[in-house]
Amino acid sequence: MSALGAAKPAAGGAIDPVSSVVGLVLAVIFIGIVFVLAPAALFPLLGIILGGVLIGFGVHFVPVGGAPAAMGQAPGIATGVAMLAAGAGLAGLFGGAWAAELGVVVATVTGAIGGGLMMAVTCLMVNVIYVFGMGIPAASGKVTKDPLTGDTQAEYKSQGTEGHGLPFISFVGGVVGGLFGGGGGTLIYLMLLQVYEQYLPVIFNAKVEEIMPVAVSLAGIFAIGLFLVNAVLAAYNITGTIEGPHDPKFKRFPRAIVASLVASALCGLVAILIVVVNLNI
Amino acid sequence: MTAQITVTEGGIPHNTLMIYGLISSLVGIYLTYLNTVTGTQLFSFFGGLGAVAALIWGSSTIKRLCSYGIGTGVPSAGMLAFGSGVIAMLLATKFGIASPIVALVLGLVIGAILGYIANNILAMKIPVMIQSIAELAAVGALVMIGFTAMTTGSFTFSPLSVIPVTVLGATVNSFGTSLIGGGLLAAIFMLGSIALQHGFNACLGPSEKQDRTLMLTAEVGFLSMLMVAIFSFAFIGVGAMIVSVLISAIGWYYTYAQYITLSKRDAAAWLDSKPIVEAEGH
Repeated sequence: MSALGAAKPAAGGAIDPVSSVVGLVLAVIFIGIVFVLAPAALFPLLGIILGGVLIGFGVHFVPVGGAPAAMGQAPGIATGVAMLAAGAGLAGLFGGAWAAELGVVVATVTGAIGGGLMMAVTCLMVNVIYVFGMGIPAASGKVTKDPLTGDTQAEYKSQGTEGHGLPFISFVGGVVGGLFGGGGGTLIYLMLLQVYEQYLPVIFNAKVEEIMPVAVSLAGIFAIGLFLVNAVLAAYNITGTIEGPHDPKFKRFPRAIVASLVASALCGLVAILIVVVNLNI
Repeated sequence: MTAQITVTEGGIPHNTLMIYGLISSLVGIYLTYLNTVTGTQLFSFFGGLGAVAALIWGSSTIKRLCSYGIGTGVPSAGMLAFGSGVIAMLLATKFGIASPIVALVLGLVIGAILGYIANNILAMKIPVMIQSIAELAAVGALVMIGFTAMTTGSFTFSPLSVIPVTVLGATVNSFGTSLIGGGLLAAIFMLGSIALQHGFNACLGPSEKQDRTLMLTAEVGFLSMLMVAIFSFAFIGVGAMIVSVLISAIGWYYTYAQYITLSKRDAAAWLDSKPIVEAEGH
């Protein structure tokens, strides 16, 4: 992480109507292209978009602290969104991928639990290091009372800081964000796997069992790509750092949902086109 | 509190660097086609050189974008570049001999749309945002296709997903031992994104110098290329692999030595600290 945390003056949370409409029109066009070229892949694309939106929404719950948190000057986990998303999301994705053959619901829930568990472990160890290693208590700078426990924050907050450590609400936010991220990532993987299992045997003129390594690998790498795109776009929305669901920046999430919807529709379209484009060259 | 990252002016203008990087990257990747022309695999290493050229271009783009203080850290830009780049690159491999050019164009298009989303829908309001994200996605796609070409000697979809294997005299198609089926693409993904973001992330600050930043990027790029050369042992002949390893190692050593020289030049003082000598008699 570079020394970028809390870099920009807080931008307003308002939705820009013109660009949002342009984005939604683009998303409809992308969905339309899939409907025309590969009608069987329409529902998977909608699943991919839902997964992307879940990821974009989930990032807003995760207490991302950045460099100020590493110096104990702001609450949150002391790294950037890209690292947290890669950790929690991919843990969930791998967890869910193992359960892929048990059906969409079981696999998605497994993925969500994997992501949530990873974040719970991360948050716990972060607090252990903050409290026993750095000797600082957990205190939020954005609210006077913890919305869940009602604990007051001000008397634990050091002067000149924006709070420090991981208060209970941030801990819960991290776990909820992990649940959303892991579930969303797994959903994208499952939907892409479904598309590839259907189309790849025809392309390679082979049995489903034979092409499974390629199908799994393609779905996995596309899911990682989509995951990172959605996570980084959501990170741009919160300008890098957020305390959790109680942070005023959390109210910006509608913008991120529009952004994730358009980005997932675009990336999902390209991921599906790979089995549609067949030039035989 | 504003934390504007200091970027030193001067050096080669970004647009010049972009054109050099783009052309040398495409030329490098296309030179691997000499494999098909000459019927050997010795020219696979050109793919890695093309990838390093694209990485240098991308490092300059990251420097330009992140000097606006995007607030999420430099690595996130590298992750976005490769997340969108891998999507563009995989579709591009379906276009046969035109793959590298399609990868470039698709990367630019996907990146431009993502840049529009970030700049307008998410209201980042950064003047170079759309162009930078478009360039980064194109760099991601070119690096992936370059390293892929270096590993397998080819950049089209079928050779990347199917490998004919002779079992008991009969030829069968093996999917699990291919680049995509074996999951090596994920390793290439991380090797590339580390190389892309590390240069500026490590060198940013008040005395940042363009040549030092780009030299570090090239150094990490060659280090990644060395790993990719070792991967290629699974796909191309031992002779071709040794050529790749040698060229990567030479490139890495040269850029590393240059980077140390440049660091000494820019440092306020340089003390050659000796290893701690263990006092005898303990």
